[in-house]
Amino acid sequence: MLEILIQLLPSVLLEGLILGFVYAMIALGYTMVYGVLELINFAHSEIFMAGAVAGAETFILLKGAIANPFLLLALALLIGGTVAAVVAILVERLAYRPLRKRGTTNRLVPLITAIGVSFFLQDLVRLIEGLWHNAFYRRYPSFAVFEATYNLPNWIGVLVIALTVWVGFWVLAYFGDWLLRRFAKRAPAKGRTLSWVAAGLTLVFLVLYRHVVFTDLGMTIQMKSILVIVVSLAMLYGLNWLVHKTKLGIAIRAVAQDAQTASLMGIDPDVIVSRTFLIGGFLGGVAGVLFGLLYTLVHPYVGFIPGIKAFTAAVLGGIGNITGAAVGGLVLGMLEMLGGTYLTFLTNGAMGTEYKDILAFMILIFILLFRPQGIIGQQLGEKV
Amino acid sequence: MSEAPILEVEHVTKTFGGLVAVNDVSLKIPRRMIFAVIGPNGAGKTTFFNLLTGIYKPDKGKILFDGEEITGKDPAWIAARGMARTFQNIRLFGSMTAVENVMVARHVHTKTSYADALLRTPRFHREEKKALERSMELLEYMQLSHRAHELAKNLPYGEQRRLEIARALALEPKLLLLDEPAAGMNPQETEDLQERIVGIRNDLGVTILLIEHDMQLVMSISERIAVLDYGSKILEGTPEEVQNDPRVIEAYLGRGAAEGASS
Amino acid sequence: MKKLRENPLLLSAVIAIVALVASFWLLANPRSTLPFLLTLGALLAALLQPIPKWLKILIGGAILLLVIPAAGFKNSFLFELGIQTGIYAAMALGLNVVVGLAGLLDLGYAAFFAVGAYTWAIFGSPQANEFMPWKIFPLPGEYFYLFMLIAVVVAAITGVVIGSPALRLKGDYLAIVTLGLGEVVRVLANNLDQPINITNGPQGITPIQRPPIDWFIALLEKFGLQLSRAEAYPLFFYLLVLVIIGIVTLVNIRLDRSRFGRAWIAIREDETAARAMGIPLFPTKLLAFATGASFSGAMGALFAAKQLYVSPESFTLIQSIMILVMVILGGMGSIPGAILGAATVTILNVDLLKSASDYLNNLRNAGFTLDLGFFKYNFANLPNQLEPAKYERMVFGLIMILMMIYRPEGIIPERRHVLEMKKEEA
Repeated sequence: MLEILIQLLPSVLLEGLILGFVYAMIALGYTMVYGVLELINFAHSEIFMAGAVAGAETFILLKGAIANPFLLLALALLIGGTVAAVVAILVERLAYRPLRKRGTTNRLVPLITAIGVSFFLQDLVRLIEGLWHNAFYRRYPSFAVFEATYNLPNWIGVLVIALTVWVGFWVLAYFGDWLLRRFAKRAPAKGRTLSWVAAGLTLVFLVLYRHVVFTDLGMTIQMKSILVIVVSLAMLYGLNWLVHKTKLGIAIRAVAQDAQTASLMGIDPDVIVSRTFLIGGFLGGVAGVLFGLLYTLVHPYVGFIPGIKAFTAAVLGGIGNITGAAVGGLVLGMLEMLGGTYLTFLTNGAMGTEYKDILAFMILIFILLFRPQGIIGQQLGEKV
Repeated sequence: MSEAPILEVEHVTKTFGGLVAVNDVSLKIPRRMIFAVIGPNGAGKTTFFNLLTGIYKPDKGKILFDGEEITGKDPAWIAARGMARTFQNIRLFGSMTAVENVMVARHVHTKTSYADALLRTPRFHREEKKALERSMELLEYMQLSHRAHELAKNLPYGEQRRLEIARALALEPKLLLLDEPAAGMNPQETEDLQERIVGIRNDLGVTILLIEHDMQLVMSISERIAVLDYGSKILEGTPEEVQNDPRVIEAYLGRGAAEGASS
Repeated sequence: MKKLRENPLLLSAVIAIVALVASFWLLANPRSTLPFLLTLGALLAALLQPIPKWLKILIGGAILLLVIPAAGFKNSFLFELGIQTGIYAAMALGLNVVVGLAGLLDLGYAAFFAVGAYTWAIFGSPQANEFMPWKIFPLPGEYFYLFMLIAVVVAAITGVVIGSPALRLKGDYLAIVTLGLGEVVRVLANNLDQPINITNGPQGITPIQRPPIDWFIALLEKFGLQLSRAEAYPLFFYLLVLVIIGIVTLVNIRLDRSRFGRAWIAIREDETAARAMGIPLFPTKLLAFATGASFSGAMGALFAAKQLYVSPESFTLIQSIMILVMVILGGMGSIPGAILGAATVTILNVDLLKSASDYLNNLRNAGFTLDLGFFKYNFANLPNQLEPAKYERMVFGLIMILMMIYRPEGIIPERRHVLEMKKEEA
């Protein structure tokens, strides 16, 4: 039994990583807007959806005109991202800005507006699709070159297993150490010590299960998954450059820290907020196209669940923190895959796939109760 | 006969990130005293109040209220034990009327259970009547009776400040913390406030702890003053002692002014 | 308009006349939407405007107890509408305590409705036999009333369970967590058919017992009304719903005008100040949450008994949002507002949107062409995906956005009543 679980591990984690990249990009939208406005943009899930649908339309419309699927994908990413960005800016301008200008102290009002926008956009897209195509489910066409599967060398799988097991043992060692500290009043062990303990246990594990670990794990990856990873990494790198190396990036970080002082320095917060929505929206749109590439079916309500999960990821990493959003996305993706696969396996199908959605909610509640600042993030307090 | 002090603060420290907001502050406040805390802006006075009332938990130190340890306890628990406060930026319940604002603070003293409220028992009516009467009395005491049924957000500034005090008094506190009660008031209003504060101490036996920038007010009514600067207590003493101490002048006005004053 | 309000005699006369005209029109055309809306308008005007109390009772009672039932006999859809409105009104009043009074944004309110519904559904049908040792189920219909009370308790407990983690969080996070937990309840309802079959999963539970009404039919016969069971049940549930709304409204008013209501509003206005005034934050929030949940639970049980069938589909996010829209539209914290909001949204959803759908369908079938000279459109070309009835999300979303931007206090803003004592003083 344990052997099968170990054998599955690298594939599950890889799938989780790929899903995680999609979540990470959506999470960035949530975290950036929260950083500058301290508002959860509920409508961001629909911005993601708009990108996904726009991407679908691009693929379907231009499939005949353009032969090269990669070029088609690039175009879809561009158009999907742009459409999403435009929607994001419009939402900010028409729905959120009037409330900001009014200066309401009631926290409920912007929140309710955001939910309203979310719902409105869902049916608006449905209306548009309904008028245009008389259907609102759209399918991404599949391309042989995207579906192509490649074998991954076995050592990657072994490495992944070793790393996961190491992390697992590290966490156990940390927890054990905490227990000892609590009840035996010892000084905490050094991080180094825990690492070596974990590494030692990993070695023991690998020896005990060598016949499992060293058989052919049969790991494969599809071209479309590789594309997801490549595009996501490019986007993340680009965002990092934008935020740390450009004037706009510095301005965004300034407004996120202290809008009033930033405005005294000559930065117009409204413009920055708009640009933030634009960037977050574009990333969300790209995530939408990648989502469509992976799961083919998109519709106006496709944003809801990934949206909540991506928000969980943003909180998991530390809301307002860009690195945190990326890390949170990857971690959540992997946790979801792990939970989803193993739970179903262990309970013989009694706990079906819907339970993996619940997993994300449970993680959210857990994090908010026990470590609200997330894995990396900082805490924002209230001035009394 | 000496009674135990109503408030004992021992070596209380609070740090935010890298900033030490309150640094090893200790105080003892005897009952029925009017005690003032002064210092330049940013000296940590409001943070100090927030530590006392439980909004922040001190990183180090102990706070004893009426002999009981209250360090890091929940604000509502501390308020129920008899420590009331007003806020630097007025925090009234805007969409409730003045009398309702005061009645909110009667919450701990109104002995109605959920069932009583649902079934409208005689006890409910009795307690509600008592609460209303007491609230109207307090409004009367702060000269706000004529505003009883007006929405708090519609009151003029000075009356809002008085309403905050009336509300705080509804807790029947042993200790009343006033955070810049005279802010934004003209000299006449300030004088009235002065009388009112002394009256509260004399009539109701309440100990008063006051943060204030208006030196005239502070010096007239305080019996003892503590001076904070950059989070530390730099001096404690009578008004005369504090007024003439060069360290205080330096804290407020800078080194040159201090040298000028002591010559 | 203002002049009318200042002259109570004239106002009373106008309302009475409108009520009379609307009633007769409705009785003459029970299937028409317009006379129904007018009657409803007259009812609301009578209840909310400053006219003498006896007249309010007279008009209100006449419309609710005579006109609508009479029209309902000719068009049973009206009963259905009335019952639906009633159920939602009671839930809106419940959510009003949570969102309107205490200011806690709960996006998973349908979960409590589900819990209440399944409580009766499971034990009032053969479902319980699946996991209970004694095969005595379904319980006979009389147990329904008991189970309504049990549903209240179960829902309140669920409220405490969900609230305990959620209410420790700040507003934005509370909203998302309650949304998540609402979904969890729905997923559980959908999946608890393995390993033990408690909820029967996506298929739902049916048939569910309803309370016997032979005594009711006998009572009606005394008034000269001969009704079969099938005809009497809608009337029975309609009247039951009216009674329950009365109770719920009373509970709401009593809590509002007590230290609990004041504490909730204080928390909504300024949490920090509320705590400084001695109000224990977490227990008070939990109390609001559990109170709101219990109303929903009661209506859930009633819903199950009326529908005779429950499935997870009835308890989705849309339901939670719909009730939220009712509270927002009507007025946060305002009791008449919640009822008005419920009536408006239900009628919008059940009646108006559907009528719009039918209207467009008719245009399409007739091949009607709109010719404005510069713009021509042949309705036969209207894609059949375009059914207004399916666009409730757009409508709700729009209502939420527009209300927040233009009238956040709602149609009937919360009015701080003048305390009863003042009248005694004066």
